[in-house]
Amino acid sequence: MKRWGALPLALLLLAWGIGRASGYDPVADVDVGQLDLGPSAGHLLGTDPLGRDVGMRLLLGVSAFFEPAVIASALALALALPFGALSGMSRGLLPLLVSQLWTALASIPRLVLVLLACAAYGSDATVLGAAAGVSSVPALSQAIATRIGQLRARDYILATRAHGVSRSRTLLYHLLWLGCRGLIGRQLLETFAFVLVLETSLSYLGGFGVAEPRPSWGNMLAFAVSRGSENRWALLAPALATWGLLISLIAASSAWKERGDG
Amino acid sequence: MAEASLSLTGLRIQAGSRVLVEEATLRLQAGRMLALVGESGSGKTLTARACLGLLELRPGVVGGSLEVQVGARTLRPFEGAPRERERSWAELRGAILGWIPQEARGSLDPLRTVGAQLERVLRLPGGGQGGPPGDVGHWLRRAGLAEAAHVAGMFPHELSGGMARRVCIALALARGSRFIVADEPTTGLDPTVQAEILDALGALRAQGCGLLLITHDLRIVPALADEVALMHAGRLVETLPAARLAELRSEAGQRLLAATRPVAGGLW
Repeated sequence: MKRWGALPLALLLLAWGIGRASGYDPVADVDVGQLDLGPSAGHLLGTDPLGRDVGMRLLLGVSAFFEPAVIASALALALALPFGALSGMSRGLLPLLVSQLWTALASIPRLVLVLLACAAYGSDATVLGAAAGVSSVPALSQAIATRIGQLRARDYILATRAHGVSRSRTLLYHLLWLGCRGLIGRQLLETFAFVLVLETSLSYLGGFGVAEPRPSWGNMLAFAVSRGSENRWALLAPALATWGLLISLIAASSAWKERGDG
Repeated sequence: MAEASLSLTGLRIQAGSRVLVEEATLRLQAGRMLALVGESGSGKTLTARACLGLLELRPGVVGGSLEVQVGARTLRPFEGAPRERERSWAELRGAILGWIPQEARGSLDPLRTVGAQLERVLRLPGGGQGGPPGDVGHWLRRAGLAEAAHVAGMFPHELSGGMARRVCIALALARGSRFIVADEPTTGLDPTVQAEILDALGALRAQGCGLLLITHDLRIVPALADEVALMHAGRLVETLPAARLAELRSEAGQRLLAATRPVAGGLW
């Protein structure tokens, strides 16, 4: 069961790769001769009210949230690791200031933070991802700091030091890698889920997020709803995909939780 | 093995304005065993941790001097600039000074198997000397764990108290330290296992390792140690040859002796 933790991410990566490699052009696919068709061998999930292939758009829509999610995870990790380790290891003025800064940042609701960033810098994948990443830093950084603070006084870490393992290796390998990897994996999956919901909602509502003709699960849903598509898969496919992925991300995150880290 | 000695002079440990250890002076030589005895809270473990460099060595918190001599090399890790001290500790920890912690199971990494932890120690500089390279089982068997292959695959939470203690001894053996601080190695074990653990420590001494045995159990001292030092309320009160343990004169020593006698029976 625990081994399945990485499956949703692997499938996503595959879907994203296929969507990228297919060279699908969302404008050229408009075909007024094939509006609202049901599933068939040529169109596995049928077509939407503009005659576009629902399955292909679903696959291509992965990149709408996948790319910001990867940016968000990378940024959250890059900021939270050093600051978390710093506040976990020492009790000086700097860690205190940093932790106050994160507390202040965490007091702004994440959605508001992301909307502010999108309003100021536009809502492309980079801005969305960066904003979501920064908004994940406080929780991740505090979690790492707390974990390191608990572990570093434990006897087995002292024993590691007493065996002659250097301070930096104790921190990087024994504390961060062995001690925090489960926690970090879990938090990053949650960031991933956050970006999925965020991007899908934004492009469903319109204004921010991915706009037509580029597909995203949110704007596919919005389009099918507003046009009252007769192919119910044009509506069901993005809805089920969003729901299924969200459930799997949460399940993967709790599968990770069982990996013996206390 | 080259001549080696460790001397701790005038150790003083403070927490805020409270003095926890004062004027502790110990001397330990390769192949000898010094028993540091005293009631709980008398500062034994703190003294041991100071010798291992596991306390934060800030001026005003830990004072005194530690001198470790191995062959022609002399290290003074309490002296000099912080960078210099850290360099001395880096040379001392593990290779020269080893530790068998009081809380055996808690001192093993809960997330890795016994075998993985032993392998890690064997790869450290100076680790695994005198044994077949990379053979984890050899060290487990030497610490008295006959089913070495089975134990190597176990996680710390699967070990019994006695086994965990032996794994710690195996780690200390594999690390090949010149001096080993054994903190209450027999606490919480039944008499048979205690005797076996003490045998293993005796074997360490026989191969030229200097041992600092910390215990509140006087019964194990005469048969095993060469010298005994008594701590009380953070001070080193008396030092005697272990054979003359019964001559402890101080009030704290008398109390410990009185508490020990009724159950001592055959042990001394």
